[in-house]
Amino acid sequence: MNKLDILDLDAHLQTQTPQQILSFALKEFDNIALSFSGAEDVVLVDMATRIRPDVGVFCLDTGRLHSETYRFIDQVRQHYEVKIDILFPDSEAVRKLTSEKGLFSFYKDNHQECCAIRKIGPLQKKLLTLDAWVTGQRRDQSPGTRGNIPIIQNDKTFARSGETLTKFNPLANWTLQQVWNYIRAYEVPYNPLHDRGFISIGCEPCTRPVGPGQHEREGRWWWEEATKKECGLHAENIKEP
Amino acid sequence: MKIIFVKKILADGSACAKCADVIEKLEKSGQMARIDETLIADERDPESPGMRMAKLHQVDRAPFFVVENAGREPQIYTVYLKFVKEVLEQKTDQNEELKEILRNNSDLDFL
Repeated sequence: MNKLDILDLDAHLQTQTPQQILSFALKEFDNIALSFSGAEDVVLVDMATRIRPDVGVFCLDTGRLHSETYRFIDQVRQHYEVKIDILFPDSEAVRKLTSEKGLFSFYKDNHQECCAIRKIGPLQKKLLTLDAWVTGQRRDQSPGTRGNIPIIQNDKTFARSGETLTKFNPLANWTLQQVWNYIRAYEVPYNPLHDRGFISIGCEPCTRPVGPGQHEREGRWWWEEATKKECGLHAENIKEP
Repeated sequence: MKIIFVKKILADGSACAKCADVIEKLEKSGQMARIDETLIADERDPESPGMRMAKLHQVDRAPFFVVENAGREPQIYTVYLKFVKEVLEQKTDQNEELKEILRNNSDLDFL
């Protein structure tokens, strides 16, 4: 797929349902896998296995997830009879971080160093083996950093040298409410932490329940001040006329 | 091979700190000479060469590098250390590359 294909496709896929988007992605790519975090993105596993029962799924096991999340990941594996590739961080990198800075350095510094080692490293390694991947990212998760995510994009960050990697975000246009409507309607299993006020679920030390009216982002890395992203090019200026 | 470096001027007219940091690193390592052309992406001017290049290649961040080779699709690098490793063939610190990826793609920490 070249650049123009991606642009045209994105315009087309913007009008499609998540199921239609997944159908397209799974038909177009054999070497494709879903990223599953052990949270409400389970809807993608539900949708995808209805289309391709043996679809590839992977989880980033940071080593710091809630025990409920580990149990839920295994529940999903059994419920959908799907193989889940559990990815681990580089043990030497974790050893170096924790022996030099302790087990909770993210509270003092910020979460980026820890997330880079525990999430981005294994993710990068996995994506080097794929031609396409699917995430549960939604625009309403964080208007600051996810407000412009497309349905389909060329993933320039993780592509193999000289090759392309295609990223699909089938839930980009869905709201949290739509995700939960689907979970209820199709009786999709879900992480029990959601019943205890957790909306967004990540690592145990970096996730907390939120109260009524709070945005899900407030349940993650709450001790850090939200900062304006500087690297983006102002969207209005690169939009098609 | 032709290497194009695109740096940014912010909407308020100030220079982009990340771009300045990348330039400093390129100069310190003596690799600035490998850059054939530098374009400015001026957020105040959508028709500035860098903004047009960003639109052409569907890039939504700066700085970035375009590597052109005859007869091949241009390669875009939005991660400086990936560019250094793959194009300039310099040894890089893996953890620094991972941190740069996360800094430039703050949506990834939600995965």
